[in-house]
Amino acid sequence: MSDFRTPYPGYDVLAKWASPSWNDQTRQVVRERLLNIPRPRFFNEAEWSVLTALCDRIIPQPERAEPVPIAPFIDAALFEGRGTGTRFAEMPPDGAAWRQGLAALDAEAALRFGGRFAGLTAERQDAIIAAAVAGDVTAPAWEGLPPRRFMRGLVLLEIVAIYYAHPAAQSEIGFGGSTSPRGYVRLDAGRFDPWEAGPGIWPDREP
Amino acid sequence: MTGAVGTVSRDAEEHPRAVEGRAPDVFSRDGFVPMRQWPEEEPVDFAIVGTGCGGGIAAAKLAQAGFSVVAFDAGPFWRPLADFASDEREQDKLYWLDERISGGNDPISLGSHNSGRCVGGTTVHFQMVALRFRPEWFAARSRLGYGVDWPVDWRVMWKYYAEVERACSISGPVRYPWGPPRGRYPYRAHPVNAAGLVLARGAEALGVPWSPMPVATVSAPRGKSPPCAYRGMCKIGCSTNAKQSILITYIPRALAAGAEIRDLAMVARVETGRDGRVCGLHYHRGGQWRYQRARNVIVAGYAIETPRLLLNSASPQHPQGLANSSGTVGRHLMVHSNHAVWGEFDEEIRFYKGPPLLAVCEHWNYADGDPSRDFDGGYAIMSQGPLPIDYASCLVSNTGVFGTELRRRMALYNRMAGLKIVGETLPQPENRVTLAEETDGFGIPKAHVSFSYCENDKRLFRHSLRFMDRMLRAAGGRNLYESEATAHLMGGCRMGHGPDDSVTDSDGRTWDVPNLFVCDGSLMPTGGGVNSSMTIMANSARIADRLVALGKRGEL
Amino acid sequence: MVQYRSPCRGSRVRRPDPPHGTAGVRDGAGLGTVLLLAGLGLFAGAVLAEPAPVAPDPSLRNLRRGATILAGSVMADSAMEHFQGSYHNPAMYVGPMAAAGTMLATLRGGDRNRASAARTMQGAATMIGLMGLGFHGYNILKRPGGLSWNNLFYAAPVGAPGALALAGVLGLGERRMAGSRGPERREDGRILGGVVGASLLVTTAEIALLHFRGAFHNPAMFVPVTIPPAAGAALCLAGLRRPEAARRHRLARALLHLTALLGPVGTAFHAFGVSREMGGWANWRQSLLSGPPMPAPASLTGLALPGLAALREIEGGMDE
Repeated sequence: MSDFRTPYPGYDVLAKWASPSWNDQTRQVVRERLLNIPRPRFFNEAEWSVLTALCDRIIPQPERAEPVPIAPFIDAALFEGRGTGTRFAEMPPDGAAWRQGLAALDAEAALRFGGRFAGLTAERQDAIIAAAVAGDVTAPAWEGLPPRRFMRGLVLLEIVAIYYAHPAAQSEIGFGGSTSPRGYVRLDAGRFDPWEAGPGIWPDREP
Repeated sequence: MTGAVGTVSRDAEEHPRAVEGRAPDVFSRDGFVPMRQWPEEEPVDFAIVGTGCGGGIAAAKLAQAGFSVVAFDAGPFWRPLADFASDEREQDKLYWLDERISGGNDPISLGSHNSGRCVGGTTVHFQMVALRFRPEWFAARSRLGYGVDWPVDWRVMWKYYAEVERACSISGPVRYPWGPPRGRYPYRAHPVNAAGLVLARGAEALGVPWSPMPVATVSAPRGKSPPCAYRGMCKIGCSTNAKQSILITYIPRALAAGAEIRDLAMVARVETGRDGRVCGLHYHRGGQWRYQRARNVIVAGYAIETPRLLLNSASPQHPQGLANSSGTVGRHLMVHSNHAVWGEFDEEIRFYKGPPLLAVCEHWNYADGDPSRDFDGGYAIMSQGPLPIDYASCLVSNTGVFGTELRRRMALYNRMAGLKIVGETLPQPENRVTLAEETDGFGIPKAHVSFSYCENDKRLFRHSLRFMDRMLRAAGGRNLYESEATAHLMGGCRMGHGPDDSVTDSDGRTWDVPNLFVCDGSLMPTGGGVNSSMTIMANSARIADRLVALGKRGEL
Repeated sequence: MVQYRSPCRGSRVRRPDPPHGTAGVRDGAGLGTVLLLAGLGLFAGAVLAEPAPVAPDPSLRNLRRGATILAGSVMADSAMEHFQGSYHNPAMYVGPMAAAGTMLATLRGGDRNRASAARTMQGAATMIGLMGLGFHGYNILKRPGGLSWNNLFYAAPVGAPGALALAGVLGLGERRMAGSRGPERREDGRILGGVVGASLLVTTAEIALLHFRGAFHNPAMFVPVTIPPAAGAALCLAGLRRPEAARRHRLARALLHLTALLGPVGTAFHAFGVSREMGGWANWRQSLLSGPPMPAPASLTGLALPGLAALREIEGGMDE
């Protein structure tokens, strides 16, 4: 698979930082997110290594010298006991599910490829993730943890929630970003306010 | 118990704001309005648990009628202008994030999907769709042959729809194409954004009507509310106060009329006296357990917390839980199926702009005679406008996509449009709320929610997926994919015609306990094929008027 | 607490305090802004500048002032509206430019050497305005929903190009009246009265539509849908009287004066409306477009002044 290319090169939601699109409270939230990357406090070292490898494969960012941090925020949310409002009956509580799931991914790696998950090639890591997402895993460590629910109902949700909260991720999809007090005027298709991203570059479309 | 979730105004999540004779002024950044306070030792006329569509309206109308009212909410008392950021993750602080256990064959997602926790309740994050029930749904069993009949006539509800639509200055179309005539909406409909016009093009291609959506955000100034700025972040809390939530409509009226609001006050148990009547409630606030005496208690905690509180209030007189001699408390929980079809478009739609749901097609709520119709109940089709995290969540949980492919598909965000349904599910006794073994941070048993679709529910959403597929293709969508989810909660303490199969009568008065009332979405006997907030509000306004009338006759 | 090696730790993705400045203005939007600002400048100039005096004739003076103000209002209003429409169709530049052209042609009408060029410009503006009506009608009908309330509210304003045509017609009318005398002049006055009176009624319909869109949320919004149509009707009635019966029409005159006053008063109200948008004037790039249109109320003054001119001629040139 080819590397990711944004349709909106050069667009940056942070360029509007000092404009009416941003208010103080949003600046406070995003400044905190960008400057205070939490220290890992919940996971142990083994779990952490699986988690960071997993995040790297769910959201690969080879083009970035400094990738958007994801794992630290997962750790922080679990450490602080920030809930989601839902625990599926077939699942352990969130923290326990994460610990078991990461261990199970490692066990699956040992079973299939005879190594630690973090040490595998990207292709092999992807194969294990795809199997877990499809519920097609065999390691006994999954006992009591439905892999499909774990991946789709917890892991992927948490990772995209953290990644797409980041300005860099919002810029790459051409999202308008912060909107208060200034919202939008032009609501028709193909019409953009000057403070939005310009038209994207779409290889599948005539320019 | 979850700790403070947000970065902004954490104090509001940690320390009650409505104290010392004043409550936050929701139209200011840091101001207060005076608030009357009622002593705990003296019984108040009404102690109300919850301040959303049910409790907020009841508090305002009962206080205006001269009753002493204290309303409790487990969540914070926000000032939207200062406390709400344009950030999805920050605004998770609006949701009920405490753990609830979700089971059944089709377990539902809670939290951001259907449960708010703050003064104003779920209306602080609702997407403002302001639709009325089809009249026949109030007599679903006798008129349409499914579900149950409401103990309320549709014409009465119609009157109260008009009342709450005025109170919330609904911006709606001049002519609404379905159902009996309704008076003019107080404000005009908003412009339909590109995502809504996708629905319109699809509907016109398939020959079914569509309409601009009536929504609870103003299209022109109203009092201290500016007109909607089309910032598109309605679901994570309106930071301009254009959205006419309960927090900025009925709560200020309740305070002005002398009601007291107690924020960050988690009610754990309704106390029963020797005579079997309720006499007060135990709640946790400011780090300690407290007790409020009351002549009447209204439970308005929505479809999960209301049954949970009643079940947790079991006493020697009510061993199965309060108002549960029939075993009906917690049962007949309903959701709306939220199945959706998504497609790519050539043009950039950018559905992040404007309120998310600006166009609606209610055709399948009314087309009784259509030969393709193989289900009872109905569904409304709506345009969509999820913010990035919301959309990414839908994408990954339904497709399982990850890696570079995930980033690539997310990069199509600006070219996506989608249609989704609000689909009726039938009331089933086994879809229910019970108490789990585990307890929460207050020591209260957690709610266990069990939900399974029945065959009719499945036929309904399969029908809708086929129809939306055609609609989206006709509008120019390509590379379609489907997603499933649920939204809204209804039932759990339904009102009805008799004590055997319902919890309350048509006044919300529980059959078992004459001074215990329910006033929220859990009363709904059927769910209908439209968003429930206006129906809950209209029903609450009706019940409040009934309580005032009963009080005048000395029947409280 | 253990310290772990993290590939993510300490990564500073971007300084969250970028220098001041907003996203660049781009595409048609840039030109739109230029036009908008130029339009506002010209409009201000038009209001302030004393037209070149051909003759010290109060009717002609009022007619010219009115035509100029109306053209200026149309220019600024269409520049803003079309800016909001991103000038996605190059034809959208034509409206504001034609309005600017006819405004200048009317302003400089006294210059004998350019009289025919000016007349051509005013005629062109009239034609462009009439074609604009077609364009706007098509824009409404092609949208989903067709001729629906929402499209009348939010698609291209259905009657607006008519004001451009009218600005051209009034400019031409001023030229014609400058050359007419006696009974012929009074007949011109009657025709002018009819045109202006009818235009006031049509304009009222457009104001009513837009204020209905705003739910008449402020009682003051009823004022411009009551006084101008009364003035228009009174003017039409005055013109229908037999020419011999020259007399004063005090009510029509008073109503026209009030209508003229609604220009500045309405502008002030609209400025207040802009301030009530989220962010108010500090968020002017949004508020000016989504709030009530600032340049629009001036068109009432632009119609009332020619109305007064017409009334004066109908009354037989009586001075006040």
